[in-house]
Amino acid sequence: MNRGDGETERRRRFGSLCESLRPDLLRFAWWLGRDQGLAEDVVQEAMLRAWKSFDSLTDESKARSWLLTIVRRELARVYEKKRPELADVDDLVAAESVALAAPEDERVEEMRNAIFRLEEEYREPLVLQVLLGYSTKEIADLMGMQQGAVLTRLFRARAKLRQRLGLGTEPEP
Amino acid sequence: MTTCLEFRRRVGAEPFADDAEIDAHRRGCAACARYQDELRAMDRVIQRALAIDPSPRERAATAPAAAPGRRGLFAIAASLVAGAAVSLLLLVGVPRESVARAVIGHVVHEPGAMAATAPMPVAEVGKVLEPHGLRLRAGAGEVTYATNCPLDGHIVPHLVVRTAGGPVTVLMLKHREIAKRMRFDEQGYQGVVLPAPKGSIAIVGQDVSDLDGVAQRVFDAVDWNG
Repeated sequence: MNRGDGETERRRRFGSLCESLRPDLLRFAWWLGRDQGLAEDVVQEAMLRAWKSFDSLTDESKARSWLLTIVRRELARVYEKKRPELADVDDLVAAESVALAAPEDERVEEMRNAIFRLEEEYREPLVLQVLLGYSTKEIADLMGMQQGAVLTRLFRARAKLRQRLGLGTEPEP
Repeated sequence: MTTCLEFRRRVGAEPFADDAEIDAHRRGCAACARYQDELRAMDRVIQRALAIDPSPRERAATAPAAAPGRRGLFAIAASLVAGAAVSLLLLVGVPRESVARAVIGHVVHEPGAMAATAPMPVAEVGKVLEPHGLRLRAGAGEVTYATNCPLDGHIVPHLVVRTAGGPVTVLMLKHREIAKRMRFDEQGYQGVVLPAPKGSIAIVGQDVSDLDGVAQRVFDAVDWNG
């Protein structure tokens, strides 16, 4: 394989990874940033960074975690540069009404709104666990936390959702 | 021996936990089993709730309106007004920033592309475009660079074309629908994004004379069913 073919193959592999993982990355970034434009920008920038360091990804089965970490860092970088002004969560809900809508199922829409209003410390592990299928150990590694702390956050996330949706209360961990 | 409190703390964090002690407690405590079932049912709703459409704005700008659902007349009227306002915002504003940023981001990160001056053989350009079902007819200018690049999570043809107005970068964004022509001028780059039969096409340059005319000639030279 000559150098040109190698580069073409590298681009193809990267493109293929991005193509398949982009929806999850966008969802993850959106649930963290709660802003569609921000999520798109963060994922775009993350992919540029990922492309530059693509050679450091030695095991492509770990591509999703690798890209999620880059998205997470990129979002933190955006917040470091310009911490978004504190916005009323009702304004955020109104601004993101297109994404929050679930006309086919009222329960889903109510839940979506309830999750949207969760504090980030509870929202993030819940997204990683339920949407992306991560174990609590994997979430702990990704978020740089103890596994016990992740379990507590996940418990509280569900307790808050049950409370907000009028489904009951839980014992404190 | 797992207590009810321990059980509820554990399944509150992991409703589908696969654990012998949890299963044993569940078998002996109907109330805790019911609690776990409720949590599992809630998790199924959470899963559906989290699976948002990753690009609802792009789709909202292009998709036909859905049939009215279960909501009342007032809600329908309100949503139509809100929908019109949102659509206007989407069509006019939101994609502009995103497309411009994506395109400029890519051009800035590949400065070497503009340095090439030797015309590329037509066959080589064809190799880049054919997999996308595209073809470039004569009339756009000489192509000095052609490759496929990752952008927006998609592989897109990236050309540099020497035109009468100056060299321009051309990105064919089949994945990116836009509702109307857009112009941008950022970071020293001027660009035009045009709606195309399949997605859109971005033409970007620096101090190109008559950029709109150049963009139109490039657009006219692309065969989208090549």
